[in-house]
Amino acid sequence: MALLEIRNLHVNVEGTEILKGVDLTIDTGKVHAIMGPNGGGKSTLAKALVGDEAYEITEGEVLYNGKDLLEMDPEVRAREGVFLGFQYPVEIPGVSNTYFLKAAVNAMRKHRGEGEIDAMAFLELVRERAKRVKLDETLLQRPVNEGFSGGEKKRNEIFHMSVLEPNLGILDETDSGLDIDALRIVSEGVNAMRDGERSFMVITHYQRLLQHIVPDVVHVLVDGRIVKTGGKELALELEEKGYEGFDEAAA
Amino acid sequence: MEAVAQSKSVYLESFEQLGEQGPNWLRALHERGIHAFEARGFPGSREEAWRKTNLRPVTQTHFPVADSQGVAPKALVERLGDLGDSYHLVFVDGRLASDISDLSDLAKGLTVTPFSQYEDHPPERLTAALGRRVDIDWHPFAALNTAFFVDGAYIHVARGAMIEKPITITHIITAEADQRAVYPRLVVEAEDGAEVRVVERFIGDDQASTLVCPVSELSAGQNTILDYSRLQEDGATVMNIGTVNLAAQRDASLRGAFVADGGRLGRVDLIADLEGEGGEIDCNGIYLTEERQFIDFHTWFNHRSENCFSRQRFKGILQDRSETVFDGLVKVFEGAQKTDAVQENRNLVLGKRALAHSNPRLEIFADDVKCTHGSTVGELDEEALFYLRTRGISAEGAKGMLTLAFAGEIVDMFRVTGVRDHVRRVLMRRLGVDDADIGEIL
Repeated sequence: MALLEIRNLHVNVEGTEILKGVDLTIDTGKVHAIMGPNGGGKSTLAKALVGDEAYEITEGEVLYNGKDLLEMDPEVRAREGVFLGFQYPVEIPGVSNTYFLKAAVNAMRKHRGEGEIDAMAFLELVRERAKRVKLDETLLQRPVNEGFSGGEKKRNEIFHMSVLEPNLGILDETDSGLDIDALRIVSEGVNAMRDGERSFMVITHYQRLLQHIVPDVVHVLVDGRIVKTGGKELALELEEKGYEGFDEAAA
Repeated sequence: MEAVAQSKSVYLESFEQLGEQGPNWLRALHERGIHAFEARGFPGSREEAWRKTNLRPVTQTHFPVADSQGVAPKALVERLGDLGDSYHLVFVDGRLASDISDLSDLAKGLTVTPFSQYEDHPPERLTAALGRRVDIDWHPFAALNTAFFVDGAYIHVARGAMIEKPITITHIITAEADQRAVYPRLVVEAEDGAEVRVVERFIGDDQASTLVCPVSELSAGQNTILDYSRLQEDGATVMNIGTVNLAAQRDASLRGAFVADGGRLGRVDLIADLEGEGGEIDCNGIYLTEERQFIDFHTWFNHRSENCFSRQRFKGILQDRSETVFDGLVKVFEGAQKTDAVQENRNLVLGKRALAHSNPRLEIFADDVKCTHGSTVGELDEEALFYLRTRGISAEGAKGMLTLAFAGEIVDMFRVTGVRDHVRRVLMRRLGVDDADIGEIL
């Protein structure tokens, strides 16, 4: 069954059309990789899906679980289970990572009609998930992302995702800034969440992340359009040949 | 200038008609006050230090001194417990309210006395201290206070006494004092080696359009720790224009926590003098304005001695059409080498029509010093707001979270636990943030 259906999505950023008609369907429990050259529209797709107002939808529709995703406020999308792991996570001085997450967990529970999470249960959950992505426990008490290294920020995003347990995890270039060990740890964190129910959209420029998070489907996004869709072997092909041929195809 | 001339004569006339107010021994000081005010008058709109403060509501009406004491409403009396356990002296409309004060079991070495209780025999150290720290020839509202105050609090901490429990002086303004003036006065002296925490608080009835002109004089002797918190939480229509005078002797540590979130017009002139080598004055403040409120902090930090340390960190949060001023001077006198001074003012403008003025200044007459200052006026970070929302936090919750985080840095520096907790609660209430929504982020 389709968890996410994107139909003919057109998106403008500051008056320039970046997405020029994207069609994409992600079924429940599947991992889709979105690959493509820089400037092709990968991050635009991610930001548009979570409701960044700077990304203006000019045409098309997005159905999530059969509901109109584009009608929802960003926080409602999150509460409905859509998560974005940012390419450049924002630093938030003065807001502790743990308390922020607790507020987020409670906002989602409230949305589902559940009561607030018990403090002890929350602490246990947070510790267990931090261990899963080998996030240093001192980072839990620090302000969100403040003073974190690039790799720590990416790990923190995956940590947030594993605590919030979304139905759809969108990972925007999560691999950048990660060394081989961190890449393996982050990937293991994501793989641990693959349970046949949860879906992922993994956005990357390179193939190396996809060695660890093996996708079911690979799409190539060039110049605002999906120009090719294939199996996991497509990623290898791209690694070898690059995107040059696709640039021409898209032109 | 006509209004000024008229105002002067009205205050002098009022002074002469009133005759003696308060204990007899204050008479000479009162006269000095009215003469200073007569000579000085209200500041003109071109005077640099007063340029941004609209004094018309104050100067165009005569506010005679409140000559009776109203009854503090129950809701205001209940607020006396807000700050937790402390010795408590309460003044209502400028006069002692002994029935709601609690000075039982004062610690050894601590004296907390209303001036009115001294009758004819005030201690010499009080008469010497009263007015010593404040320049009434320079400050017209301090001069008015000196002319008209009828009572006040004297806090004395004996040499070496360490006082654990804070002392709270609360000034309550009732509806009875509407269209009148109230002149609160506080003198704190911590002798060498003492340690004490003093909280001064202003609360009142929202119906009282009262002119409140407080003067506080605090002196920290050698090697003392003196912690002073000032909470300006006046009723909605009060105009509160006051001076705070801090002086630190050798190796003294004087810490100030300032909060202003009440009243229609609020101004504090904070004059801090570092008089002995190794002294430090560390003042942190938060002001929170809404609707058409105006709040103004003017500071003068005078480094008069070597090796002194000062910190000023003030943050403003402005809503609606409110306006604020931070104007701060660090002055390093000749010979005050090895001065280490930092002055910071940051403003978060949440209202589209709110206006924050920020003017940090340095005057340095020594050559071996470390002085920095910084000032910002900005809005909430849109990217951060969006990031929080993508994690499920509502737009309002995200705004509240970021605003509280902005203020929290200052609130965390407040050393008196009761004050810190109270200010957190006030912030959450004023920002309309639901506790459950944001968790314990402060």
